[in-house]
Amino acid sequence: MGAAVLRSLPAEALAQPHVFQQDPVDRLMARFLAVLILVGLAVVLWSLFRYRGRDVGAISWGLLLGGTIVLPVMFTGVGTILALERVRTVPLCGSCHLTMKPYVDDMMNPKSNSLAAIHYTNRYIAENQCYECHTSYGMLGTLESKEQGIVDVYKYYTRTFQLPLQLRHPYRDQDCLKCHAGAKKWIAAHEDSQEKIFAGKVSCMQCHVETNPAHTLIGQESNP
Amino acid sequence: MSLPSVRTIELDPRIIRWTLISAQVLALIVYLLGAGFLFRSSGGTLFLFSVVAPALIVLAALALGGVALYRYLRRTSLFAFALFEPGDVILQQGDHGDFAYFIQQGEVEVVRREKEVETLISVLKKGQHFGETALISNEPHQSTVRAKTRVRVAMLGKRKFLHMLRFVHPAHGDLMSSINQQATEQAAKRAKAAARSSRD
Repeated sequence: MGAAVLRSLPAEALAQPHVFQQDPVDRLMARFLAVLILVGLAVVLWSLFRYRGRDVGAISWGLLLGGTIVLPVMFTGVGTILALERVRTVPLCGSCHLTMKPYVDDMMNPKSNSLAAIHYTNRYIAENQCYECHTSYGMLGTLESKEQGIVDVYKYYTRTFQLPLQLRHPYRDQDCLKCHAGAKKWIAAHEDSQEKIFAGKVSCMQCHVETNPAHTLIGQESNP
Repeated sequence: MSLPSVRTIELDPRIIRWTLISAQVLALIVYLLGAGFLFRSSGGTLFLFSVVAPALIVLAALALGGVALYRYLRRTSLFAFALFEPGDVILQQGDHGDFAYFIQQGEVEVVRREKEVETLISVLKKGQHFGETALISNEPHQSTVRAKTRVRVAMLGKRKFLHMLRFVHPAHGDLMSSINQQATEQAAKRAKAAARSSRD
């Protein structure tokens, strides 16, 4: 039974439809984390049951240090790797239902003509579609998104967000160009304008927002 | 004999026990937060796991570290310290001695009970000591010592006390002369009391 639970962990957590879509890092880390949690719980509960808060001798101190410091530190370290993987997934972005659901629904809607839907439904971006478009290039982009994400989660759970949501800053061209620049189709379509785009004189959204808005939202006008 | 400065603070064992239990409960919460994130990854469980859980681990580590430091200081400290309220019996006549007591604050009264009659032998003050005779002679206490006011005493365990006498010769001399002086005073008091009672 335990093995079955361990095998099903990543699928349970991410609700991925196909096994091949499961990230091996996520799968391994999830199992390792589950083992650490079980061992840690067993150590702490045994220590509480056996010693009831008394520190008598080396074994009780070993259990205290192991269960209270060593295993939790290991477990948060491993958990951080898992968190860094999972934080990129679409289901995690969509878990903030009140704010993100309309965006995710639109992105997954095959009838929508928004840029998000076009990229998602055609699998122009293979996975982690929210993260790929909303995180700037490189390590600093990831750090920036984590820093902003913590603030967003805080605002979400304290209900201090404002609807309709606003981007913190105008959408950056580099977040489009990191994939599109240099592509044959893009070069052909932007033959006349690419110098201006690279110089920052024309932004991607200036033209594309008319025909294909980033998201087409239905039913999110004000705070719930 | 001069007393060393206070190096430790005595904690109620219940405080230590509950501190350790609290640290372990915090660890349990950390594991549950981790399980929450593992089985249901969302913004909320991620926030709890990546922000709240590390803060709880730091708290648990501080609690455990505090107790470990306290234990270390206790083990390496020469003296233990205790507070007694007025009327508290510090040591009982007839009991075996475990500590030598050095008065740091307050007064104690030394009383002896013979044939159901309690006699006040002496009153000891800050800087004086008691309980050491039973440690040296390996005999039960000859009298009871009670707190007269609120008293703070430094307590030196039997083994440490005998080590001190063996290795620190000036302490041995000081203590012996002090014991002699106390014994002489007490003998004189007893003689005076006996003479008074025979006159009556």
